[in-house]
Amino acid sequence: MGQDVEQLYAERMRRYTTAMRNEKPDRVPIRPFVAEFTAKYAGYTVQEVTHDYQKAFDAVRKCAADFDWDAVVGNMVYVWTGLTEAIGLKYYAVPGQDIPAQTGFQYREPPENEAFMKADEYDQLIADPTGFLFNVWLPRVSRDVQPPGEPSTYRSNLSFLKGGMAMLQYFSDFGAQAARLRQESGTVSAISGILKAPLDILGDKLRGYMGLTMDVFEQPDKVLAACESLMPHLCHIALSGADPDKNVPITIWMHRGGVPFVSHETFDRIYWPTLKPIIEEIWSHGHQVLFYAEGDWTPHLRSFAELPEGSIVYHVDRADIFETHRAIGDRFCLSGGIPNFLLSYGTPDQVRECCKKVIDGVARDGGYVLDASAIMQNDTSAENLRALTDFAREYAVY
Amino acid sequence: MEATTEPGPEPGVCIPWEEKLKELPPIQGDAELAERVWRDVDFLAHMCIWHCLLSF
Repeated sequence: MGQDVEQLYAERMRRYTTAMRNEKPDRVPIRPFVAEFTAKYAGYTVQEVTHDYQKAFDAVRKCAADFDWDAVVGNMVYVWTGLTEAIGLKYYAVPGQDIPAQTGFQYREPPENEAFMKADEYDQLIADPTGFLFNVWLPRVSRDVQPPGEPSTYRSNLSFLKGGMAMLQYFSDFGAQAARLRQESGTVSAISGILKAPLDILGDKLRGYMGLTMDVFEQPDKVLAACESLMPHLCHIALSGADPDKNVPITIWMHRGGVPFVSHETFDRIYWPTLKPIIEEIWSHGHQVLFYAEGDWTPHLRSFAELPEGSIVYHVDRADIFETHRAIGDRFCLSGGIPNFLLSYGTPDQVRECCKKVIDGVARDGGYVLDASAIMQNDTSAENLRALTDFAREYAVY
Repeated sequence: MEATTEPGPEPGVCIPWEEKLKELPPIQGDAELAERVWRDVDFLAHMCIWHCLLSF
């Protein structure tokens, strides 16, 4: 590796981690969560980057080198549909197969009466979460996996073998992707490790949103007990994927646990008491968590402020970033807040104006990482993303 | 982190070593090695199913 590139990497890592510790780096780090945008920029179809992760990796490296960003995710089109097809997962609409080749993959939630977990199966889940996933959940979400008691099939056996080997290959290649980003363009891999809140995962993949909203009224104690039983497993998986150097954060993708999807009461009684201890446990191991707060979680900022200072980085999507900064900016670094519609349909001048407003408003004392509000898909304008990048590099210097 | 309820195998475990050990004849060599490798590979299966749930 060239010494200059390694020096650049070290500078960027210092800039990024300093900001995430809510301190003041030399300038505001730029860490755009670019997803299907990378395909458009690199000349691939969305199908290509979703189904062939080497092309996705290539597209990310091209963007990182051309835009000269501080940090990126190795592949933000994270769901490799080659793997999901190997397992036979029913819940994805695959670009180029189920939907047009230029449309991002879709998650298809089943109707309430076909939820992957039934309303009367909480005790089974609570008793043995891992066993439930293998024996009940997987046969329902896969076209190929046969449940225990049913005759095994060639395709059922293959789905385990191919799925497991594909996952191992994909995760191993993420390591090589991180090394290439570092060596080729001095770019930091922005995150490491995944977390979801127990109530979110119950809604996303087990009971479905409709089923969950009924359960919190009809059997709230079971919902709480199920979330408690998921906690240690989710914490374990998060820590197992964490950055061993403790530089970059584990990311929690926050979906349905906040207003207006569930009530304040459900948040206070179930969502937060079963998430907060996980964050505290992760922090006790020295890892930050990036709260990727999809939607608007403003009503819950007071709860998030209970967390140890510096333990999280709070990403702002649809919320008012200035209000968020007033509420928790003294405790945590913020990221995001540049609206996606502006990056897609605005003008470069409007993008620069918005960046100036956000940087002036929330980044004066450090503790801010520049990014769009949500992951950037293939409607994002390269010209606007260039305007964001160039403006921040020039203006956001301390 | 411990669950407040009483779940099945602990995080990272699908088939506990203690259960596997009952199926084996008395271990004549390095029992610690046998246990460690069993746990390491078993962990991969736990990781695989939980990543199916979380990541894919």
